[in-house]
Amino acid sequence: MLARRIDGRVVKLVGHPGHPRNRGTLCPKGVAQIMALYDPNRVKTPLIRTNEKGVPGRWRQATWEEALTLVGQKVREVRAKDPGLLVWQKGRSKAKAFYDEAFVKATGATKLHHGAFCSDAGYRAGEYTVGISGVLHPDFRHCRYLLAWGYNLTNAGGNQLCWITWPQQLIQARERGMKIVAVDPRLRGTAHFADEWLPIRPGTDLALALALCHELIALGAVDREYLSRYTNAPFLVQEDGFFFRREGKEQVWDLRAGGPRPHDARDASPALEGTFVADGKRVKPAFQILKEHLARYTPEWAAEVCGVPTEQIRRVARELAENARIGSTVVVDGVRIPYRPVAIMAYHMSQQELGFQTVRAMLLVVMLLGAVGAVGGQRLDVGSWKVHENFEKLEHIEIKDPPYNVWLKDSKFFPINSNNSSIVAKVMQDPQRYGVKQIPEMIIVHMSNPLVAFASTPDLEEAYRKFKFVVVIDPWLSRTADLFADVVLPASTLEKYEGPLAATDQYVDAVALRVPVMEPLFQSRGEIEIYLDLCEKAGVLYGKGGYLDHLNEALKLKDPYRLPLDRKPTVREIFDRWAKSEGIAEGVAYFEKQGVKTKGSVAATKFYGYATDPPFGGVRHRLYGEALLRYRLEMRKRGVPEIYWRDYTPLPTWRKPTMEGSPREYDLYLVSFKRIEHKQSRSSQVPLLAELARQSYVEINPRTARAKGIRDGEEVWVESHNAVTGETRRVRAVARYRESIRPDTVAMPHHFGGVARHPWTDGQGPSPNSLFFTGEGYVANTADQSFHVKVRVYK
Amino acid sequence: MPRYAMVIDLDRCMGCRACMEACKVENNTPTAAFWMYVFRFEEGEYPNTHIWFMPRPCMHCDNPPCAKVCPVGARYKREDGLVATDWDRCIGCRYCEVACPYGVNYFNWKEPVRNYYLDWGDRDVRRVTNGRTPPYRNPDLDRPYGEEKRRVAGGGRLKGVVEKCTFCVQRVEEGLQPACVANCPAFALHFGDLEDPQSSVSQVLGRKHSWRLLEELGTEPRVYYVGAHSPHPESRQIEEVKARV
Amino acid sequence: MSIRVQRLPYGVGRFSAGFWLFILVLLSVVGWGIYAYSRQLVEGLVVTGLRDIGSMGGAAWGLYIAFDVYFVGVSFAGITMAALIRLLRLEELRPVSRMAELLTIVALILAAFSVLPDLGQPVRGIVNLLRYARPQSPFFGTFTLVISGYLFASLVYFYLDGRRDAALLARIPSPLQGFYRLWAAGYRDTPAERERHHRTAFWLAIAIVPLLVTAHSTLGFVFGIQSGRPGWFSTLQAPAFVVMAGVSGIGLLLVIAAVFRHVLGERERLHEGIFRWLGGLLALLVLVYLYFTVAELLTTTYTGHEAEVRLTVALLSGPYAWLFWVSMGALVLALVSLVLPYVPSLVPVRVPSFQPAFTRAAGLAAAGAGLVLMLYRHSPRLVPVAGAGGPEPEWVGWVLAGLAVVFVLSWFPLFARSVVAAGVAGGLLVNVAAVGKRLLIVVPSQTHGTLLPYGPGSYTPTWVEYSVVAGLFALGTLLYTLFVKVFPIMEVAEER
Repeated sequence: MLARRIDGRVVKLVGHPGHPRNRGTLCPKGVAQIMALYDPNRVKTPLIRTNEKGVPGRWRQATWEEALTLVGQKVREVRAKDPGLLVWQKGRSKAKAFYDEAFVKATGATKLHHGAFCSDAGYRAGEYTVGISGVLHPDFRHCRYLLAWGYNLTNAGGNQLCWITWPQQLIQARERGMKIVAVDPRLRGTAHFADEWLPIRPGTDLALALALCHELIALGAVDREYLSRYTNAPFLVQEDGFFFRREGKEQVWDLRAGGPRPHDARDASPALEGTFVADGKRVKPAFQILKEHLARYTPEWAAEVCGVPTEQIRRVARELAENARIGSTVVVDGVRIPYRPVAIMAYHMSQQELGFQTVRAMLLVVMLLGAVGAVGGQRLDVGSWKVHENFEKLEHIEIKDPPYNVWLKDSKFFPINSNNSSIVAKVMQDPQRYGVKQIPEMIIVHMSNPLVAFASTPDLEEAYRKFKFVVVIDPWLSRTADLFADVVLPASTLEKYEGPLAATDQYVDAVALRVPVMEPLFQSRGEIEIYLDLCEKAGVLYGKGGYLDHLNEALKLKDPYRLPLDRKPTVREIFDRWAKSEGIAEGVAYFEKQGVKTKGSVAATKFYGYATDPPFGGVRHRLYGEALLRYRLEMRKRGVPEIYWRDYTPLPTWRKPTMEGSPREYDLYLVSFKRIEHKQSRSSQVPLLAELARQSYVEINPRTARAKGIRDGEEVWVESHNAVTGETRRVRAVARYRESIRPDTVAMPHHFGGVARHPWTDGQGPSPNSLFFTGEGYVANTADQSFHVKVRVYK
Repeated sequence: MPRYAMVIDLDRCMGCRACMEACKVENNTPTAAFWMYVFRFEEGEYPNTHIWFMPRPCMHCDNPPCAKVCPVGARYKREDGLVATDWDRCIGCRYCEVACPYGVNYFNWKEPVRNYYLDWGDRDVRRVTNGRTPPYRNPDLDRPYGEEKRRVAGGGRLKGVVEKCTFCVQRVEEGLQPACVANCPAFALHFGDLEDPQSSVSQVLGRKHSWRLLEELGTEPRVYYVGAHSPHPESRQIEEVKARV
Repeated sequence: MSIRVQRLPYGVGRFSAGFWLFILVLLSVVGWGIYAYSRQLVEGLVVTGLRDIGSMGGAAWGLYIAFDVYFVGVSFAGITMAALIRLLRLEELRPVSRMAELLTIVALILAAFSVLPDLGQPVRGIVNLLRYARPQSPFFGTFTLVISGYLFASLVYFYLDGRRDAALLARIPSPLQGFYRLWAAGYRDTPAERERHHRTAFWLAIAIVPLLVTAHSTLGFVFGIQSGRPGWFSTLQAPAFVVMAGVSGIGLLLVIAAVFRHVLGERERLHEGIFRWLGGLLALLVLVYLYFTVAELLTTTYTGHEAEVRLTVALLSGPYAWLFWVSMGALVLALVSLVLPYVPSLVPVRVPSFQPAFTRAAGLAAAGAGLVLMLYRHSPRLVPVAGAGGPEPEWVGWVLAGLAVVFVLSWFPLFARSVVAAGVAGGLLVNVAAVGKRLLIVVPSQTHGTLLPYGPGSYTPTWVEYSVVAGLFALGTLLYTLFVKVFPIMEVAEER
């Protein structure tokens, strides 16, 4: 964005016309930031706590010198014991090189992030299945049929990008004639643009995806060429579920040769179906296994499970098949590429108990159609088609023996592990149970408000009590800080350098830097500046292995612009070196004038998986997840409870979510949702935005409400139940009628109650995160958080 | 003399309300005053529901009921089509407000400096903003505009006068678009001169069927809508902004 | 001189302790009203319950405008009397003519003072109205101009009419002698002078009658020409305003006449015939008004325009139902009360004697509970939530209304016997209804009659608005009372 300044005073924020992601426009949050900039309720000076934790804090103001010295000293102490006892928890990080990489590496801290509350189950599924790190979005320029799966077009960003970019592309696609089918328990703003609505029961997306796969196969809408060449569909699978190998290599059944051939054999014509005998073993191609596996997942069956009419499911499958145009190609940028203009858009809905397998199943749908990496088809990452290291890593995880680290890395509980801070909270409450010896002592919370933004609040509160020293870096006094911080370091809002920020909109490549709109207000400082000083105080700034050293790597600085390791640079200097390292002769001055550097359109050969060289980065997409089976057996051998290994199956397999075990009186599903006016938990204090969306509420279908004698606008109790432990939790909220929500579902926005001690946040109401649970039954098999729970609503 | 009009493409509008905020910051409107307001409508019963959105600026009618009833001529119609409010002359009788069928008028019930969301008296903030309230006070709003040279721009001018959308007169006279139009992420708002066949408003109107709100009242609005339909008795507001001073 | 007076009549110049106490009370209420207004001047109109129409869900015009309309309506009385007496030669009504004229003048003054607090910039209001006034605006061109003309004409008429009495009283030595001489301005009670006086008054009356109709009609037009306001936009608006003005004006006049009849002991001059006449006229006007109401309701609800129907539902069974049915009920009860004196002669019914004491208690209880309820309801702590129920259960309001009805009914036997009592009751009830109707015209169209689907709004007046209105009533009473003490409220008659 650009700031309009008159006499050094910022009077307005507008979109940067040259920025590909918003093209000169801003969403309401961007416009309203100007009030956050000037808000006198920001944290003005470093604060040091004077009372006990667990209750609202009483603070004394301190100088930066004092605060940083204190924190630096604590860092030294903890690191002397074991660097892993220092935890770094990030929320919003707009300068990954500086925080996530350099600082974490220089200190050796245990890194926690927010992915488990965002969409990491989808990331894992994408990385594992097709090797791309991201969830799901289409090639908007050419797509003709889109399944907007849980995608809240008018209120949420979508896969990896800020809110504006996808809607702009979607609207253009719509004007071109793209059809949109919304799959969602609650027809959100997408409604206006959707041609059809499948009102799916929460937690049953896996069943729908499986039924669509079933139907596509029944219709014969299968891209056999793609499956044979670019996936492990033709790989022969033994009866024990593992691939049939010869000399360690997976084999396919060559129809011409009439026998097994190595999968990379040049001229093989592999079978996709059938049962064969090889080396005395009965083997079937993985695709055959898939077909048999899908046999029972009929649309009728799914209609029952999902609460969506059979005919609708059938019709969607048919339309997917028709629109996919299997076998067709098109020329883009002079390259002939397969044309499969169907795709799925999905992001945060992956955070449910069956999330990992659900996204895998959704990938199966588009894989069957051959739409992955095709023109108009399925994309997963915003950048070019590059295979992520996790493609191999997730296939070769070695489950270790305890003791485990605090987020249970490589553990028998979560072999594939997205790193969930609430699981960390559970571990800290009972480390022995999870085979953990040491629980961390100190935590630096970077632009995050875990107690409000993460589920589940009560568990996190327990964990934070156990931290000996808590440092929070935040422009506001978050609820987390207010209750548990020992030191609060005030970060600036717009008055800082930050970056480098990827500015691509998927079609145009660009990079941007945040430059300060004015001198920091009050005594706030930019985070990078804070870290430079903190590292100095902690003794990890200089020399080899220090912060500056790691920064050189993280920013990929080239000689002669690399940072000397013996001098503390200014933040501006670092970015100047970086810009020059990137080949921008003017250095940071370029960005101070222009803001964005466009690097041109992404070439088709980098954009489409089919068109890269080699196609798809030379990997075989994992239709069949053999490693998942391996992990399952390993976990069983190690005696882990079933709930941990249940979902490690080579093919997505339906089961009823654990929450269905709650008693009948918990008759409603609770889901949470976003509103465009707010950004997670950090904006409900901005008066301009709070005026638009004042407080929390619970949306309920009028028929359901009336049956319970609840009027529109009436205060009610919302009570959740943990089907595993029997624990119940409840909050009070205002009920709001909404026709566009399933009668068996209620929904709450998750933005409120984040900031303490602000005149506008009083009485804003609870966050649903105090109703969700974590741990067994309420996380995925990849440790990703589930945002589903059964509740009852009463007066 | 240009003939300004606005065209709102409801097929594109996402109801994000960024236009409401852009207007608010540009024109410095006080708490609960929404010169631009966006309706979020829901129609129908589960599962046959329909959601759509409708921005509502001032209509800048050619036959404005508000200008007709103003006892002192503070509310008047300019030649270029903008219906303006001279805040030097307004006596705050609010007749224009009760006369307007669209409900676009906002009265300064409070002393404006006390009606900007927060207490801006903080010392550090005052140093940077020179004590202005709101801190993002837009100096363009203080100047007189139009050939008639009257002070018609901006909100929160003084206690006891009525204000409304001005089509950002301070921007339009500089050749810029109104703040809402310039900021719309969906590019759903168009503004321009109907006399110019190349303007986006002329082009959109030529291309798509358009309608206007409450046309039967004969107010001759200058705001045209394309797509969707006029709100009808079934359209109910969801997520309404019920802010009050 | 045909008449000689020895002393100032009708209590003029006589000030008792009770009188001073009364004046003190009035002054304090006026003072309180001024204080409330000062709060408004300092803080702005935010201290009222008014808010913007539409997205803010409020009403921009409320108590101030409603009472402004009410006061203008009350001013109907004077000229009507002048017309009836001068033009139709109803000499019988002459004793109340000056009371009525004074009522008109005081009411118009109050009307002006009622608009001023409604302006956001009152000083500008006066200055800019003089500099920039637009006659095309109903608010100014018709309303302000016509009202000013109306007031001016009434003052002239009043002055001329009083010259004779002023001349008479100028002969009596008193502290007010100078004042009377000034007023009399050389009036000599000769037949020629009297003849000229009658003729002037006659023609003035003729001139003012169209002003009367115009004034009340234009006030109706302020509302009636608004096509954007369902509930206002109606051809009946102007005629209804004229009729309602008559209702409230004549009603108040009945009350005032009864007060003077009692206070001055002039049972013969202010005889029952006057009350019979005024009561009958009032009953007729109430009937016409009820007819208008029915016609209006039928028209809007039969094949309803959506906003009109929504508004009507809000009036009949929604948030305004209590005010609507209380006002309608008051009108109907007033009508019945006014008719009751004629009943015994028409129907052979034995009228029971005056009511038992318990109904008086019921009435007091209802009034007291109503006051408490109103204070509680309008406590600043309570914010009305759209859609949810009000702060107190609705049935409480209805019970109170029921008690009030019982209270009124219990007085019926008295009304059947005394046309004066019936007149007073009728007069009070129709004024209650008039206030209610004014509010019902002004407010619901803004909160429940928006043409765009903003949803229902709410308006709850605050203590500032109530205080200013109370101050206005006190001011009016004060002016009236003070005048009565310096000038005879009736024409000076022959002394016995």
